[in-house]
Amino acid sequence: MPLDTSSYSFALLRLDGRRWNELRRIHAQISTQAAADGSSYLEMGNTKVICTVAGPAEVRRTGGGSADAEVKVEIDIAGFSGVERKKRTKTDKRVAEMCYTIANAFSSSLLTHLYPRSTIQITLHVLSQDGSLLAACLNAATLALIDAGIPMTDYIVACTAGSTSTYSSNDETADPLLDLNGLEEMELPFLTVATLGAGEKVSVLVMETRIQIGRLESMLAVGVDGCKQVREILNEVVRKHGKKVVDSIIE
Amino acid sequence: MTSLKRTTAGDPHGANISSKVFVRSTKSGKVQKIVRELYLRQDIPCSSTLCSLCLSNAPADANGAASESPQRLRNVPVVPFVLSDRPAGTKTFPNGHYLVPDTNVLLNGMDLFEQASAFYDVIILQTVLEELRNRSIPLYNRLVGLTRSGEKRFYIFFNDFRLETYVARDPGETINDRNDRAVRRAVKWYGEHLQQAVKAAGRARRCPSIVMLSNDKDNLRKARKEKLEACSLHDYVSGLPEADRLLDMINEIREEQGSRTAHGTLFYPEYFTQSKMMTGMKAGTLHQGLFNVSPYNYLEGSVHVPAFENALIVLGRENMNRAVQGDAVVVEVLPKDQWKAPSSKIIEEEVLNRNENADADEQEAVITEQEQKALVEEAKKTQGRSIGGHPQPTAKVVGVVKRNWRQYVGHVDTTSVSLSTNEGRRQQTVFLIPMDKRIPKIRIRTRQARELLGKRVLVTIDSWDRDSRYPVGHFVRSLGELETKEAETEALLLEHDVQYRPFPKAVLDCLPKEGHDWKVPANKNEPGWKGRRDLRDLLVCSIDPPNCQDIDDALHARPLPNGNFEVGVHIADVTHFVKPNNAMDSEASGRGTTVYLVDKRIDMLPMLLGTDLCSLKPYVERFAFSAIWEMTPDADVVDAVFTKSVIRSREAFSYEQAQRRIDDASQKDPLTIGVRTLLMLSKKLRKKRMDAGALNLASPEVKVQIENETSDPVDVEVKRQLDTNSLVEEFMLLANISVAGKIYGAFPQTAMLRRHGAPPASNFQELQNQLKVKRGLELRTESSKALADSLDTCVDMNEPFFNTLIRIMATRCMMSAEYFCSGTQSYSEYRHYGLASEIYTHFTSPIRRYADIVAHRQLAAAIDYEQLDSSLHSKGNLESLCKNINARHRNAQMAGRASIEYYVGQALKGQIVEEEGYVMKVFSNGFVVFVPRFGIESLVRLRDLAVPEPEATFDGENYVLKTTGSRTETIVLFEKVLVRISDQKEESTGKRKIRLELVRSGGLS
Repeated sequence: MPLDTSSYSFALLRLDGRRWNELRRIHAQISTQAAADGSSYLEMGNTKVICTVAGPAEVRRTGGGSADAEVKVEIDIAGFSGVERKKRTKTDKRVAEMCYTIANAFSSSLLTHLYPRSTIQITLHVLSQDGSLLAACLNAATLALIDAGIPMTDYIVACTAGSTSTYSSNDETADPLLDLNGLEEMELPFLTVATLGAGEKVSVLVMETRIQIGRLESMLAVGVDGCKQVREILNEVVRKHGKKVVDSIIE
Repeated sequence: MTSLKRTTAGDPHGANISSKVFVRSTKSGKVQKIVRELYLRQDIPCSSTLCSLCLSNAPADANGAASESPQRLRNVPVVPFVLSDRPAGTKTFPNGHYLVPDTNVLLNGMDLFEQASAFYDVIILQTVLEELRNRSIPLYNRLVGLTRSGEKRFYIFFNDFRLETYVARDPGETINDRNDRAVRRAVKWYGEHLQQAVKAAGRARRCPSIVMLSNDKDNLRKARKEKLEACSLHDYVSGLPEADRLLDMINEIREEQGSRTAHGTLFYPEYFTQSKMMTGMKAGTLHQGLFNVSPYNYLEGSVHVPAFENALIVLGRENMNRAVQGDAVVVEVLPKDQWKAPSSKIIEEEVLNRNENADADEQEAVITEQEQKALVEEAKKTQGRSIGGHPQPTAKVVGVVKRNWRQYVGHVDTTSVSLSTNEGRRQQTVFLIPMDKRIPKIRIRTRQARELLGKRVLVTIDSWDRDSRYPVGHFVRSLGELETKEAETEALLLEHDVQYRPFPKAVLDCLPKEGHDWKVPANKNEPGWKGRRDLRDLLVCSIDPPNCQDIDDALHARPLPNGNFEVGVHIADVTHFVKPNNAMDSEASGRGTTVYLVDKRIDMLPMLLGTDLCSLKPYVERFAFSAIWEMTPDADVVDAVFTKSVIRSREAFSYEQAQRRIDDASQKDPLTIGVRTLLMLSKKLRKKRMDAGALNLASPEVKVQIENETSDPVDVEVKRQLDTNSLVEEFMLLANISVAGKIYGAFPQTAMLRRHGAPPASNFQELQNQLKVKRGLELRTESSKALADSLDTCVDMNEPFFNTLIRIMATRCMMSAEYFCSGTQSYSEYRHYGLASEIYTHFTSPIRRYADIVAHRQLAAAIDYEQLDSSLHSKGNLESLCKNINARHRNAQMAGRASIEYYVGQALKGQIVEEEGYVMKVFSNGFVVFVPRFGIESLVRLRDLAVPEPEATFDGENYVLKTTGSRTETIVLFEKVLVRISDQKEESTGKRKIRLELVRSGGLS
């Protein structure tokens, strides 16, 4: 058994050797599945997600449909993704909530009014879980939607932020933490924040653990700052991919 | 298709990322493979004050970076650099040195690292810390404590996160080899790094050596090959001043482990493997429980397991299989033909194994001949099945889940020390006999055997291997001469795990700055007054034992216009001064309770609070937490109000003073009338409580009179009960019950409550049987009411003390009351059996009990006075808090009793008194006598009756022991006997104890 999160104060080092304000390594690729309209593969540390986008496609239902395109999200968490093999049912409440959160976020950032009576289907496959799952899903979906060429106002970028001590220890000097891994998420309070672009427009904010209100502000600030960093990284991935596409056309 | 496959080589950060893969098995037996990332970095400082490079890129915390605080500008790191620029040296390392111990060194010599004389500037590597945590959580906690205190300049270096010192495990390399290599790599890096740092400083500084401490020969050899400074702990300590004393503190046996097992005889069966125990417990063939040793018979242990109603008996050394009192063990039940009744014989270790040689192990069997004989005799008797009731299941220990070893106090067995003069200071092996009779002798190796004779010595147990009859331990320190007050007091504090060290500075810093000059602010607009009621005009007084300094509670009563009475209980407002989560609070919660010894009080809170600022002293204004009821003249509660308040006590009575004032009819002042009202109401309350089935139990309480100057005991007297004692008690109970209801209403899941479980009927079996056989009396135990009523019928016209004796014995059949968090039990389990109350808590003594502090905080939150601290919202937190204060509470009681026992012994020193006593328990080779005059009970053994030991026949069904031969006596349970009391130093424990001799059976007459 390695050390736990209480060792942070010895040297201001986290369980995996990061400082409080460091992201894990983010690796991303675009257009990984040729068959999909848009696709991406994203790693945040050991959390690995594949995303495919289908659409916008016409709704086959009878009876009109709405004036805006509908964003549908489906998440499939692979049985082997966690430490223990677990079968998730279709009706898993946690997964349903994540789907809803993601769908909601993108319905407002995508220019859905351009595609009336159609759906945009986002499918996420979680290959490996090690914390910040919702954030990774949001980031992967952003990349895949860009790959699919669906117009949007800006990237939705997300990351998690936590605090170095638990709610009950009530430590006022606790440092905020950026981008928690799975172990930290189990022990510490944390939130997931997503912003629209590099500004401070928060589009998703999810928090399920208790924390003193006084500590929330610094956590949120660190989270928003993290989102800015994530946007830089994703932007670079997009530009690189774009350059490659342009180059191949010129050739 | 694009391929997703990629190599890490292409990644710019590839070199800095590594991953740690390990496999672990969970409690349920599943195997999990865990993969974790590691981010390697170069900004982890060396923490040496010699180094300026590390200082310039020391890490910042969120505050440091967020606001360019002055701290950052002055280049002071958030985590201060600790390693000294002029570390201490030894002969071998004249330039000074930093120590780098490996895990084994810490496991073997943690006591050394806590010494004040040496072991400064120590670098603890992350690799070592993690390994230590795996091997021993208590040692890990001690090390973390040492590091955090900062006094000894310990630094934790995260070598596995630093790029230069990270070592990846090679294929086929064992984890131990990898860790050793990581330690060597870190030592090497430190050496080079410091060289550079000293050079960069440009000054003529001497560069300290980095010394690796390891007991692994292979590791040392490899280190020397890599040109590192390395030595074994033993060699290093030998070079220090006071080496003799320090060397004794090394855990030698672990060092020699490999060589010993080769030739030794194996005395004990091997423990089952973890998985075998797990499967066994799942299948129900094995059981887990706490191992307890009988205080009368060191060869009989018992383990209570849920599957059996009666405790499983573990007989003999071999079946005990190296389990020590308090260990969590796994046992296997023996076949039915080996079941037996609990022992009716006293067996003491000192008698049987007096002349063993501590060195010679090999020639002996596990069970010495005498022990064997004692066991066989026991077994024979059981076969008849007539003695002592039904046979009980027996079991043997097959594994230990968790050792509960602590430090033990004892004295060195004189017979095991070789005193030949020419041996000088050679190391020899001696036995240490613990004060606690349930702990086996401990073998220790020491160079100071002769100095330790006649001293109280503190030791720890290190191990107990199959090839050793007794556990092996090492010396920690000497407490002083046997029988000196200081040594004996410290010994009993240590034995009962009482924290008695002076409060650290951090705690004292939490006290109000005004010190003794602190006053209730005169201006009511001050924040301290917020939400408080001004009750200064009430005629409040306190009633306590004489010379009481920490006055927790005060009372008042006054008539109301409607004919009812207003009664108030005012409790010291400790939580005004002790705020949650500061140093004082955590110290108090660690101590849990104040411990009262005969001549000493070990406070839970610093003196300033306990005896002055919180104490509800007379004639001064104090903050209080008040419970105020409106009561009818029949003592029915109409209404209850709780409020923070300010009071001014008019008088601090002792119980006797109050009693005299009440009885003196000439006193007609309002204060006296108030006290009379209180007494009148308290009697009615008491009656109601008794009618509801509250128990009136007895315990032999005596008070030791102490001469003030020398604090030597002069006399012993039995405590007297006055009406005023029960006056205070009744209102405290009422307050506790009301508060319990209130906080439970406000926090149904997390209220701090106290319960007293109903004792299982089996506890009373023995006593019921004894009463039936000897007196034809019936003890009914179906409810507390029935028990209370039937106890009242247990009287003997000729013997007024008989009833008290039965009450004392009934008290011992009870469960002990305990604190618990309301969410962990169902409401029906909240009941307090002894008080016959549905719900109960402790609220009235916050100066001396931590549970009351918690109750105060919860009540304050329940009446919206302040917000409840978040730590008290958490059930898990409260549970661990309850566990601690329950243990502390029990220890404090035992320490108090042990202290009385010691002083009674001292008071009787040199005296010989004849006194009446009563037979409480009859064994086949002795009996227990209780002497009410001194509140003492002691064993009288057959062999003490006459020389040679008289023949005896023991009638277990009728509890009669008849002796014939050299002396003829008939000892009958409950009967009066005349005993001669003298004092005697007990050989086995080194305690001075009273010794009883039978003068004749049948009392004075």
